[in-house]
Amino acid sequence: MAVRTFLLTLANLLIPIAILVFATGFFPYKPFMPGLAEYDDLGWEHQMGWNNKSVADAPFDRLVFMVVDALRSDFVYSQGSGMPFVQSLIREGYALPFTAHATSPTITMPRVKAITTGSIPSFLDVILNFAESDTTSTLATQDTWLAQLKAKENGRLVMYGDDTWLKLFPDFFERNDGTSSFFVSDFTEVDNNVTRHVPEELLNDDWNAMIMHYLGLDHIGHKAGPNSPNMLPKQKEMDDIVRDIYSAIENEDHLQNTLFVLCGDHGMNEGGNHGGSAPGETSPALVFMSPKLSKVTGSWEKKSPVSPKEGTEFEYYRLVEQSDVAPTLAGLLGVPVPKNNLGVFIKEFLGFWDDERDRIQLLLRNARQIKRIVEATFPSLDFGDVTTREEEKDCVSPSTGQDLACKWQAVLHSDLFKILQFMQAAQETMSSTASNYDVPRLIIGASLALSSVVLSFFTLPALRPVSPHGLYYMLILALYSILMFASSYVEEEHNFWYWATSAWLFYLFVSASRKEWTSNFILHPAIMVLVLHRIIRRWNQTGQKFAGADDIVHSPLFRGSYSIVLWALVGSTYIDVTNRLSRHVARSIAAFEGLSGVSLGDGPYDDFDPNRFMAFIAVLPLGATAFVFKLGFTTLDAPELTGGINRDLLNWVAGLGLVGVARMVFGGIGLSAFWIAVAEWKRAKGRRKNVDGNGDLAVALFDLLTLILLTQTKAQNIPLYLLFRLQFFFLSMLNLDPVSLTTTTLLLTQTSFFALGNSNAISSIDLSTSYNGISGYNVTLVGILLFVSNWAGPIYFTAAGILLLGGHGGAQSTRRHIATSELDDRDWVREERAHLERMARQERVVEERKTKGGGWKVWSEHVSLMTLWTGISTASVMLACIVLRQHLFIWTVFSPKFLFAMAWGLGFHFVVTIGLSGLIWGVGRW
Amino acid sequence: MSTTVIGGAPAKPRAPATPIDLLNNDTAKLYTHMHPILVLSLYAYQFPSIVADPVTGLTKTLIPLSILQVVYVALCLPPTGSGSGSASGQPEKRKPGEKKKVVPGKVESGINGKIIPAFLSLLLSTVVAAPLLTTTLVLFGAPITTHHAHTLLCGAHIAFLSIIPLVYVHGVDGATWREAVALLLPLDEVYGGMLGAVSGAWLGAIPIPLDW
Repeated sequence: MAVRTFLLTLANLLIPIAILVFATGFFPYKPFMPGLAEYDDLGWEHQMGWNNKSVADAPFDRLVFMVVDALRSDFVYSQGSGMPFVQSLIREGYALPFTAHATSPTITMPRVKAITTGSIPSFLDVILNFAESDTTSTLATQDTWLAQLKAKENGRLVMYGDDTWLKLFPDFFERNDGTSSFFVSDFTEVDNNVTRHVPEELLNDDWNAMIMHYLGLDHIGHKAGPNSPNMLPKQKEMDDIVRDIYSAIENEDHLQNTLFVLCGDHGMNEGGNHGGSAPGETSPALVFMSPKLSKVTGSWEKKSPVSPKEGTEFEYYRLVEQSDVAPTLAGLLGVPVPKNNLGVFIKEFLGFWDDERDRIQLLLRNARQIKRIVEATFPSLDFGDVTTREEEKDCVSPSTGQDLACKWQAVLHSDLFKILQFMQAAQETMSSTASNYDVPRLIIGASLALSSVVLSFFTLPALRPVSPHGLYYMLILALYSILMFASSYVEEEHNFWYWATSAWLFYLFVSASRKEWTSNFILHPAIMVLVLHRIIRRWNQTGQKFAGADDIVHSPLFRGSYSIVLWALVGSTYIDVTNRLSRHVARSIAAFEGLSGVSLGDGPYDDFDPNRFMAFIAVLPLGATAFVFKLGFTTLDAPELTGGINRDLLNWVAGLGLVGVARMVFGGIGLSAFWIAVAEWKRAKGRRKNVDGNGDLAVALFDLLTLILLTQTKAQNIPLYLLFRLQFFFLSMLNLDPVSLTTTTLLLTQTSFFALGNSNAISSIDLSTSYNGISGYNVTLVGILLFVSNWAGPIYFTAAGILLLGGHGGAQSTRRHIATSELDDRDWVREERAHLERMARQERVVEERKTKGGGWKVWSEHVSLMTLWTGISTASVMLACIVLRQHLFIWTVFSPKFLFAMAWGLGFHFVVTIGLSGLIWGVGRW
Repeated sequence: MSTTVIGGAPAKPRAPATPIDLLNNDTAKLYTHMHPILVLSLYAYQFPSIVADPVTGLTKTLIPLSILQVVYVALCLPPTGSGSGSASGQPEKRKPGEKKKVVPGKVESGINGKIIPAFLSLLLSTVVAAPLLTTTLVLFGAPITTHHAHTLLCGAHIAFLSIIPLVYVHGVDGATWREAVALLLPLDEVYGGMLGAVSGAWLGAIPIPLDW
C-alpha cells in the first residue's frame, strides 16, 4: 500500500515536470535584437555611385494606418463587398490591393506585432496575449516602424481604437483613446469611439502617423459570423470612413504626401472566429491608397471587384506576407527597416524610384538587415561579403542554412531579382522556426512523461481478471495516443469522444441486460444517458471541419422572441440548484436546532417542512442573484438571446453593475459553503461512532460548485447542466463498479468539454466570462476564472464521478439500512424481498468501497487510473510534437493541442482530478 | 420500472441456447462460402454508384442484397422451429400416440418451410429492424434533421445483412432476442455475422474526421 502511494505520488509529480521541461524546449524564448536600426554603409558605394549613408528619397512623409479587425480579403475585394469606394480607387489606380497572409495564431496581439516589427511572433505570444499585463510582451524596447517614425524629426503618433496598441506601445502616442473589446455584442459604440476623432485629427498637422483600429467588424463576426445581416452595413460604414480620409488627403495641403493603409489584422472562418489557420482566418485584406500611387500603377490592369485566385477561397490579387508591411512602410516613409524584420519590401512599389540604383539600394538595405538575423541563426555558416565574381552557383544545398548562405553570395554580384530571391528564401526559412527547438529537452520531457506512465501503470488496481470495462478503458487510451499523431483527429477530437462515449453507454446497457432484463428497455437508465448524450453532443458545433454548421445553440429555438424558451430552461436549471441547496440548508438548520435543545438528530427530519421552507427562503436570494447576474450579463454580451423578455426588466438588470452582482454571487456561495460545512461538521461529531453519515456535505459542495460553474457559463449553455444533472441521476441508477465509474468519468469529462463548445483551437477559448466580479486586471483571478469557464463541464463531471464512486446524491443516496434477516418470507412479498435484497447488496458494495483501505483505497485507484490517462495523453501529444516538428501544421494544430494538453495536465489533473475530487471524497466520509 | 430476472431466480430456467449449425447438405456447405463473396462483390460492384449518389445507389443495391440474403438463409440455414440445425437431418422421433405427420411434397415443404420464413424474415427486418436500427444510428450520432434517406438506407442495409438470418433461425422469440442484445447467444455463423455487421458499422465512423 505504501509503495503504491509512493509510486502514485511520484508519477503525479513527474507530469508537471515533464510538461514544463518540454514546454521550455518547444517554445524557446526568441531573443530579439534591441535598439533602433540606423542607416549604415552598404559597402557598394563606389560601385553604385551612392553617397555614404545616402537614402533614396521617400515618396511619403505621413501615414494613416487603419486596421479593421478581422477584415477578410473578400470583404473588400469580392463582388458582394460593401466597400465600393475602395474598389473604385483600385479601378482608378489610386490603390494597390493585396491579400496579406497572416500566420497562425491569428489573434490580434501577435498580428499587430507582426505588422509593426516585421517579425514572426513566437507561439509564446499566444499565452502572453491572455496575460495582457505582462511587460515582456510590450514592444516598447523593440524596433518597430512606429518607433522609427517617432524617432524621426517632428515624429508624433496618435492612436484611436483597440487598446492592444496602447498595451504594446506604452507612452508612444501624443494623443490616444483606447477602446477595450470587453462585450462583443457592442457593434457600434467601439467604432464611434474611433470615428469621432477622425475629422479633427485630419485637420491637425502635428502628427506623422495616425493609427486607427476598428473592432466592430470582428465583434459582428464573433456574434453571428461573416454572413450576419450586420456585416454589410458595417463594411459600408468602414468604406465611408475611408472615403472621408481619402478625400481629406486629396484636398488638404498638409496631407498631400500621406500614405493611407487599410488592412485587417486577421480574417475569420465561417463561424466568425479566428485563431487557427483556416484559409479565411489567414487571409486579411491589405490596401495601400494615395493619389500618388497612379505613378506606380500606371499601365497595369486594374480590376475590381474580382474573384479569388483559382483553387483558393480568399486569395485576391497578389499574396504577400503580413510582415512585408513593415519594410514596405519603412521604405515608403523613408525610415530604416526595423531590426527584427523578416518581411520583404513589396516589389510593386519599386516603381516610385526611377533610378535603378535607388531600387537596389532600398532592397539591399532590407536584405542586409535580414541577413543579420539569418547570420545569428546560422552562426557557423559563411555569409561573408565575397566580392570575387564566381561562377553562378546552383543553390540547392542539403541544409536550408547553407542554401541561404549561397543565395546571399549570389546577391552580392547580381540584380534586384537575386536580392528578392534571397529575401524570400530567408523569410520562408526563418518563419518555419524549425531550427529553434531544443530537441534534447523535448526528448527529456517526453521520457519523463513516459516514465510517469510506467510508474502509474504499477499502481493500477488489479488487472486480473481481465474485465471488459477495464479493457475498454485501455482501448480508449491506446486509440487516443494513436489519434494524436493525425492533424485531422486533433482538430476533430470531439468526434472521438462522442463516438467512444456512445459505444460505452451502449455497452453499459448490454452489460446491465446480462444481469437483468428491463421489460421496458427503451427507458433503461443507460439508454436514457445515451439519449441525453445524443442531445448534448449537438448542443454546440465544434472542431474545424464543420465550424459554423447548424447546432442547437444557433437554432432559431433560442433566438429572438423564442429566447423565452432558453430562459425558461435557464430558470429551471437555477431553480433546481436552489432547491437542492435549500435541502442542505434545511439540514443545517436542523443540526443547529438539535444543539439548542430540541432533539432532532439524523434521519427523516432532514426534510422537516418548516425547515425546508425557511431554508428555501434563505437560499432564494442567492439563486435569484445568480440568475439576475446571468440575465444582466447576457443583456450586454448577447442581446439577441434576450428577445422575448421585457425591455424594462432588462434595462433595470443591465443597470445593476455586473461586477458587484458577481461578487455578491461568489460571496454568497462562499458563505453558504462555510455555513453548511460547519453544520455538517457538528452533525458528524454528534453521530455515534459506528454510524456513518450520508456524505451530505459532498453533495452540498457539489451543488454549490454547480452554481459557480453556472455563473461561469454562457447563458445558451446553461440548459446543458440540466441534461448533465439527468445523466448523473440515470448513471446513479446503474450501480457501476469503480473501474466503470472511472471510465464513465473520463468519457463524460471529455465529452462535456467539447459539448460546451471548446475544441483544440485557440479560437475556441472563451474569454467573455473570465472577468466576472473583477473590475481591474489581475492575472491570477482572471486565469482562474478563465480556466473554470472553459473547463466547467469537466469540473462538473469530475465531482459527479466522485459522488457516484462514493454512492452519494444519486437515485439511491438515502441509505435504508435494510435488515435482510427481518424480512418476511411469504409469497406476495417475495418479489419485494428480492428487490430489497438487491438494494441491500448494492449498499453493502458501496459501503465496502468506502471503508476499504482506510477509506481512500477506491479513491486512489480512481486517481491512479486518471493519472495513467493524463500521463498517456500528455506523452502522446509530446511524442507527436517531436515526431511532427517539421510538419506543416505544427504551429496551427499540434502546438495549440500541446497548450491544451498543458492545461489538462497542470490545471485539470492536479487541481480538479486530485484536489477537488480528493476534497469531495474526503468530506463525503464525514 | 418492472424487471424480470434472467437466470438464477426465475421460475422457468431456460436451457442455454445452442449454436446454430448449417444445414447438413452439400449445397448449404458450398453456398455458405460463396455467399460472403457474392455480397462483397455486390458492394464492390455498386461502390462507384453509391459514392456518386448514395441514396439512389443504396436503394438499388438493396434489392439484389435482399435476394442474396433470402437465398442464403433458405439454402444454408435451418428455419426457426425446426429444432437445432443438426436435428434436421436425423429421423424424427415421435412420441407414443402422436399422429404421424403428413409428409408434404418436397417442393411444397421447401416453400412452406424455407421460402415463406425467409420472406417473413425479410419483411420483419424491413418493417421492424430497419427503423429500430435507424433509431440506433441516430442515437449514435447520425444527423436527425437532415440526411433522413441516407440514414434510413444505412439502417436497412445493416438490418438486411444482420437481422434477416437471425430472424430466420430464431424467429420472434422475445427471450432469444433479449439474449441477443445481452450478448448471451453462442457465437455461431449467424450471430457472429450480426455482431460483425453492427460493430463494423460502429468502426466505420472512424474515418469521418479525416479530410482526404
